[in-house]
Amino acid sequence: MERASKKSFIKIQNRYGWFFVSFALVLLGIFLIYPILNSLYLSTTSTKGIVQKSVGLTNYVKLFKDQMFLTALKNTFIFFIIQVPIMLLLALALASILNDKSIKLRGVFRTAIFLPAVTSLVAYTVLFKMMFSLDGFINTILMNLHIIKDPIPWLMHPFWARVTVIIAMTWRWTGYNMVFYLSGLQNIPDEIYEAAEIDGASKLQQFFHITLPMLKPIIVFTSIMSTIGTLQLFDEPMNLSQGGVTGSTTGPGNSLLTMSVYIYNLCFKFMPNFGYAATVSYVVVFIVATLSIIQFRLAGERK
Amino acid sequence: MKRVLSLLLVVVMLLSMAACSKEAEKPATTPDAPAVAGNSGKVTIWAWDPNFNIAIMNEAKARYQKDNPNVEVEIVDIAKGDLEQKLHTNLASGVTAGLPDIVLIEDYNAQKYLQSYPGSFADLSGKVKHSDFVNYKVGLMTIDGKVYGVPFDTGASGFYYRSDYLEQAGYKHEDLVNITWNQFIEIGKKVKEKTGKKMFGFGLDDGGLMRVMLQSTNQWYFDKQGNINMANNEALKAAVKAYKDIVASDIIKPTSGWNEWVAAFNSGDTAAVVTGVWITGSIKAEASQSGKWKVAPTPRLDVAGAVNASNLGGSSWYVLESSKNKDVAVDFLNKVYAGDNDFYQKILIDRGAVGSYMPAQGGASYAADDAFFGGQKVYTDFSEWMKKIPSINYGLYTYEADSAIFSVMPDVYSGALSVEDALKKAEDQLKNQIGK
Repeated sequence: MERASKKSFIKIQNRYGWFFVSFALVLLGIFLIYPILNSLYLSTTSTKGIVQKSVGLTNYVKLFKDQMFLTALKNTFIFFIIQVPIMLLLALALASILNDKSIKLRGVFRTAIFLPAVTSLVAYTVLFKMMFSLDGFINTILMNLHIIKDPIPWLMHPFWARVTVIIAMTWRWTGYNMVFYLSGLQNIPDEIYEAAEIDGASKLQQFFHITLPMLKPIIVFTSIMSTIGTLQLFDEPMNLSQGGVTGSTTGPGNSLLTMSVYIYNLCFKFMPNFGYAATVSYVVVFIVATLSIIQFRLAGERK
Repeated sequence: MKRVLSLLLVVVMLLSMAACSKEAEKPATTPDAPAVAGNSGKVTIWAWDPNFNIAIMNEAKARYQKDNPNVEVEIVDIAKGDLEQKLHTNLASGVTAGLPDIVLIEDYNAQKYLQSYPGSFADLSGKVKHSDFVNYKVGLMTIDGKVYGVPFDTGASGFYYRSDYLEQAGYKHEDLVNITWNQFIEIGKKVKEKTGKKMFGFGLDDGGLMRVMLQSTNQWYFDKQGNINMANNEALKAAVKAYKDIVASDIIKPTSGWNEWVAAFNSGDTAAVVTGVWITGSIKAEASQSGKWKVAPTPRLDVAGAVNASNLGGSSWYVLESSKNKDVAVDFLNKVYAGDNDFYQKILIDRGAVGSYMPAQGGASYAADDAFFGGQKVYTDFSEWMKKIPSINYGLYTYEADSAIFSVMPDVYSGALSVEDALKKAEDQLKNQIGK
C-alpha cells in the first residue's frame, strides 16, 4: 500500500468533496437555475398555449397599462400596508404579555394562539367564508347583540371583502409570528431587566429601550417573511371570493385580486399566456427584493 | 457576509417562484399507428362532477363494455378547476404521457383549448355524424371547417319558478311565458310584496346570468370576427342595465358562490331560478318542494332580435390526438354519445341531463310529464327552447371579458359610473389585456 503525502490526501479529499457536492449542484442547476433563466426568457415572449412568439420587452410595457395588473398591485399593497403592521404589533403585544412569568396557564394561551397556524389554508378560508356569509355566524351574532341593524355584506362589497381577508389573515398568522417573538424574548437575559428595574425604569421604558432593540433581528425577520407571504397571497382571496376559480372576478369588483391570483388566472383561467404570467412573476420578485432591502436598511443592518 | 448570503438565498427562493410558470414547447407529434381492430385497449377519461358527468360516463361505460368487453375504461373524477389546470400544464409541456384519451371541456373554453394547443385534439369531422347534434354546439368546436369534439349536454336555460308563490302573487303560467327582464323585475316586486319572499338568489359578481341575457340576443362580448364589442353593444348595455335594475329593486337574495346560491332556492327563501337545465337535479334534490315548481321560457332583454331562449354552460367530449387508443376512444363516443338513443333517455331520467343529440329528443323520456314540476312536460319544453338558442361564437376571451365587466360592476351598482362609462372602461381594459 502506498502512503499518500499530506498534499495529495487533501487533493483526494477535495476531489471526493466535489464529487459528492456535484449531485446537488447538478440538481440545483436543472431544477433551480435553469428554470429561473428560462422563465426570464419566457417573460419576453407572448404565448397562446403552445403558440409562442417573441415580443421583447413589450410585456413589461404592457404591464403598466394593464388595469387588471394595477388593480392586483393595489390590492396586494393594501393588504401589505394594513395587515402586516396590525399582525406584527398584535403578535409582539401578545408575546410580551405571554412572556410574563406571573401569568397563569401561559402554555394554554400560547398553544391556543398558535393553533390557527397549523390549520390548512384552504380549510380555514372555507370556514371563514361560511362564518362571514350574509346570514352567517358573524352577522347573526352582531345582530343579536344589536351592534348592527342590517347584516354587513362581508364578502359582497369591495371594502368589506378586504376587511374580511385582513381579519382572516390576522387570525391565521398572528400566532405564528408570536412564536418567533416569544423565542426571541426568552433569549433576552433577565439581568438586563433587573438592572433596568433597579435603575427605576418603568415597564414601558423597559419595553421600548430593552425589549424592542434586543428583538430587532427577529422583527426584521418576521417583517420580511410577512412581506413575502403577503405579496404571494393566494389561498385566502381565491377561496373567499365567490365561486373561487369559476367566479367572474376575484372578490366583488376584483377587490381581492392579488398578484399571485392574477398569475394563476393568466395561466389557467384566461387564455393561457405563460409568457405574460412570467413577466408578472418577475415583477413580484423585483418588488419583494426591493422591499426586503429597504427593510434591512431601515433596521440599520448594513454590513 | 452571512447577511449577504441569506439575502441572496431569499432572492434565489423568490426567483424560483418566478420559475414556476410553465414553459411552452412545441407539441410532440406522435403519429400513432391506428391499428386497433378488434376493439380492445384502455381508454382514460377526465371529467368533473360525480353526480352528473362522471355518473353519466359510468353509464356510457357500462353500455359500451357490453359489446366490447375487452375495452378497459377508466373514468377519473377531477374538480373542474383542477382539471383545466392539469390539462393546460400537460398540453403546454408537450409531454403527452400524462394525458387522458378523452377529456371533458366546457363550451366557453373550447375554442381557447383548440386554438392554444393546435394539433393536440383529434379532428373528428367525418368520423362522427355531427349533423345529428344541435347546431350551436357543433359551431363551438369547429375551426376552419374541422370539427373537433362530440357535443354532450346543453345548458339550455329556463325560468324555474315556485308556482305556489307566484300564484299567491296573482300570476298564472301564461303570465310568465315569454316575458322581458323588465317584466320579470315587476313580477319580482309583486312577489316580494305579497309573499315576503325574494324573487331569486343572485351573485353580484357572477357573470352567468349576463351570458344568458347576451346569448338570447344573439350577441356576445365579441363580434363574429372576434373583435371586442362592448362599449357600443346595445345588447350588452341592456344586460348591464338589467343587472343594475335587478340589484336596485330589492327582489334578490344576494349570494356568494354556488352553495349559497343553491341554498337560496332549496330553503324556500326565493321564488325563482333562471339558469341552465342542468340545475334540475339540484332543484329536485329538495323533495319536499315536489309539485311546487314549474318552468317557463327564459326572460329576454328588450332589444331587437332577442328570443326567449338561451344557454348557460354545457360541455363536450374531446379526444386527444396523442391518445394511444384513439380509434377505440372515438368508437366509444360514437357508439354511445352519437348513436345510443336509449342512453339519452336514461341519463335524462336519472340525471336530468339534456343531451344535444337530436334523434334522442323524440324519445319517450322527453315526452314524459314530471310530477315534481306539477305534471309539466319540462323536457319537451327544454328541447323546444334548445332549438331556438342563437348560435354564438364565444371566441377565446369570454372569461377575460367577464372579469373586465365585473370589475366595474360595483361602480355601476352604486351609480358611480354610468352604464356607458363602465362599459368603455371595461373595453379599454380588455383591449390592453388581450392586445386587440
